[in-house]
Amino acid sequence: MTRSEQLAALRGDVDALAQADEATVLAALPQWDSLAILLVVSHFEHVHKQAVSGAQVRACRTVADILNLIPSLS
Amino acid sequence: MHSSLSNLRLAGVAVTTGSVVRDFIADGLAAGADRAALERTAKTIGLRERRVATPGITALDLCADATTRLLNEMGLDATSIDAVIFVTQTPDHAQPNNASLLHGRLGLSKSAPAYDLSMGCSGWVTGLHQAALLCAHGGAARVLLCAGDTLSRLTNPGDRSTDPLFGDAGSATIVEKTGRSSPLHFVLGADGTGAEAIIVKQGGARQPTGTLDEHTDTEGNRTHAGNLVMNGADVFSFTLREVPGAIESVMRHAGYIPATADALVLHQANRFILSTLAKKTGFTEAQTPMSVVEHFGNQSSASIPCALIHCLTERLEAGPLKVVGCGFGVGLSWGAFAGEIGPLTIAPILPLPR
Repeated sequence: MTRSEQLAALRGDVDALAQADEATVLAALPQWDSLAILLVVSHFEHVHKQAVSGAQVRACRTVADILNLIPSLS
Repeated sequence: MHSSLSNLRLAGVAVTTGSVVRDFIADGLAAGADRAALERTAKTIGLRERRVATPGITALDLCADATTRLLNEMGLDATSIDAVIFVTQTPDHAQPNNASLLHGRLGLSKSAPAYDLSMGCSGWVTGLHQAALLCAHGGAARVLLCAGDTLSRLTNPGDRSTDPLFGDAGSATIVEKTGRSSPLHFVLGADGTGAEAIIVKQGGARQPTGTLDEHTDTEGNRTHAGNLVMNGADVFSFTLREVPGAIESVMRHAGYIPATADALVLHQANRFILSTLAKKTGFTEAQTPMSVVEHFGNQSSASIPCALIHCLTERLEAGPLKVVGCGFGVGLSWGAFAGEIGPLTIAPILPLPR
């Protein structure tokens, strides 16, 4: 998957990111909460077969930081 | 740790819940939450309502009621019980343990030992393993396993990430020694490096008392040192990391595959987690009871027996079923089991007080 395809998949799975682009600051999103973090962890498990922790996701500042957690894109 | 134990059976199960019905959306609106956000959470996680205990009712009361009803249903006298194990993290007192209090309340034989296991959501499986050990190797013919909590007493109503999840319940399970050779298989484990992912910091010997100043997190959730605090994302990561492997391992020992097992009965954490675990382990949603949490909430160690009753009563009464199960949670810890269960005597899920 290309980076733009990864972003599209992430937006499809995590409702809080539905309208986001890579530069979007997560803290500025009204739905960026513990449920959204849970959905990101689940997305990585289903799509990338990769375990990420809640702490790793919470440490991300932008959507680009989340994409950078994918080994092939970092 | 793997363990396979023979010559025993689950003979009966009962669950008593709290009697106060709490509605997730209504409670959230009363707490000032946004309706759209509540509906989003309700849909994603599978929350609708839960049942909590009235003031003064404890896990001991709930389990005692479940036990009395189960013994009546089975036509058994309490003096026929050779041991009682009580799984809880919300005991009546620091000392004595709940099992001893229940022993006295029910009038059990003085030759019957009574001890607690301090475990949460994985605790019913660990308690079942203990009861099975006592029947298989410990000289007991009939063991009473009680498992339950009143976690709603520990959460902060201002913590919208944790408080709406939990219901209060107590279960009673009777395990008996038999001549049956079909074994029950167990895989038990723990990862104490994750112990702080679910924690109540104050109230034990390390931090017995102190101020209960509330802390507000970045999402506006309020907690203090006496509250149950849970890092949901880390618990979810732990669950995905450890539980599928435990389920696959216990199925290998039992010689089961998902297609030949009748049911996957998991700790009823929430529908989102259960659906994810079913997919990861190759079970269908039809094989995997998931509806307990939307009716009763997350009932800690009582949730697996509640799922057995709520979703499988008719099939278990006719039994046997090839059941695979797993509890997982505080510790962090997990316990998986696999084996034939049934025919089983079941007392229905009822609230206390009635």
